[in-house]
Amino acid sequence: MSLLSFNNVGISGLAAAVPKKIINNYEHDLYFNKEDIKEVIDKIGVRERRFTDENTCSSDLCFSAAENLINKMNIDRNEIDLLIFISQTPDYRMPATSVLLQDRLQLPTSTITFDINLGCSAFLYGLSVAYSMLTAGNIRKALVLDGETRSKVYSQKDRKTGFLFGDGGVAALVERGEKYSTSWFSLNSDGSRESLIKIPAGGYRKMSSCETIAEKVVDEHGNIRSEEQGYMNGADVFNFVIREVPRDFDRLIGFAGVGKTSIDYFIFHQANSYINGFLARKLKLPEERTPTTIHKYGNTSSVSIPLTIVSELSGRLNGQKRILLSGFGVGLTWGTAIIQLNDCFIGEIVEV
Amino acid sequence: MEEKLIEALAEALEMDRSTINPDGIFRDYENYSSLTELSVLAMLDSEFGIEIEMKEFDKLKTVADLVRLISNK
Repeated sequence: MSLLSFNNVGISGLAAAVPKKIINNYEHDLYFNKEDIKEVIDKIGVRERRFTDENTCSSDLCFSAAENLINKMNIDRNEIDLLIFISQTPDYRMPATSVLLQDRLQLPTSTITFDINLGCSAFLYGLSVAYSMLTAGNIRKALVLDGETRSKVYSQKDRKTGFLFGDGGVAALVERGEKYSTSWFSLNSDGSRESLIKIPAGGYRKMSSCETIAEKVVDEHGNIRSEEQGYMNGADVFNFVIREVPRDFDRLIGFAGVGKTSIDYFIFHQANSYINGFLARKLKLPEERTPTTIHKYGNTSSVSIPLTIVSELSGRLNGQKRILLSGFGVGLTWGTAIIQLNDCFIGEIVEV
Repeated sequence: MEEKLIEALAEALEMDRSTINPDGIFRDYENYSSLTELSVLAMLDSEFGIEIEMKEFDKLKTVADLVRLISNK
């Protein structure tokens, strides 16, 4: 069973960076009229989101967040023995972006670096890998960088996805210490649903060609995208999430043996406000302990969980806090984690 | 069951209850869209405890099909 538990390892600090360019969704009427997009925006709850310019990558957002974290926490770069970069918008197909960040952040060449290519659940996967490697010993500090430029992935001419996604990057410092006590993870995958959220071309199954980059009308509603842009079947994903996410939530709570009332905050992947509202109601979670950022940053894929922590829990994490994380999306993959924070440092959000 | 379903469906689709009848093809209603489909799925889950795969849900066409779904649960 895919249930993990760790002792004496935890997140000591978090920082985030977002592009300075704000997209006001209600005014984002490049291809659709305002009346039509209002209906979509009211349902998904994304009033604003951030878009990078074409020269800025996920790694640049993560770099800014990491620099801020390292400087504010006064971290010795020589003590960072592990760097994990989580993204589905890397700089290149090769080499791995994590290796480039090792050099940019002036970390020692003895640093272990690799990328994790997963979507909305990936922060949990990345944390579990960092926790595992720290538990194996000798690693002093781990940097988990998680960045996305979803603005470069989805067509703005496709109503199904054109108003939902935004960009952001975070840096988390993970360390050992008895004060972190126990944390628990449940991680899951279902590849039979791979087509529900997908960029079908541009990889090695269907390589990039003139045909794959050509924009096409894809449905009776006149939505337009290319095969190298993202597709999402919202209803199927929604239907899966409202069933499986609560199930995994209950499973992990049971495994951990902690009461729901002992959890200070519940941080969900910010999918859209309709899904998030439904999950919170179904799980009977109090609004004040279920912070959201969907209205101001949109869906930033794997970044949304840590970005919501940085944005909404700054100043609220003094002392010992227990938080539950829930991520779900492309793959499909999904997971739940219960982690302990102890005076976790939260940096201010840097604009790039 | 039928009464309760029709009422819940009307609310999910933001329609007048009197315009919905068992023979109606709910997918053809003007208010049925990819957005309100989410409301119908949410309603089936929260009001009736229905968990259904989309390929099964996609086979349902009429209001009576939905009534049958919740009755057979």
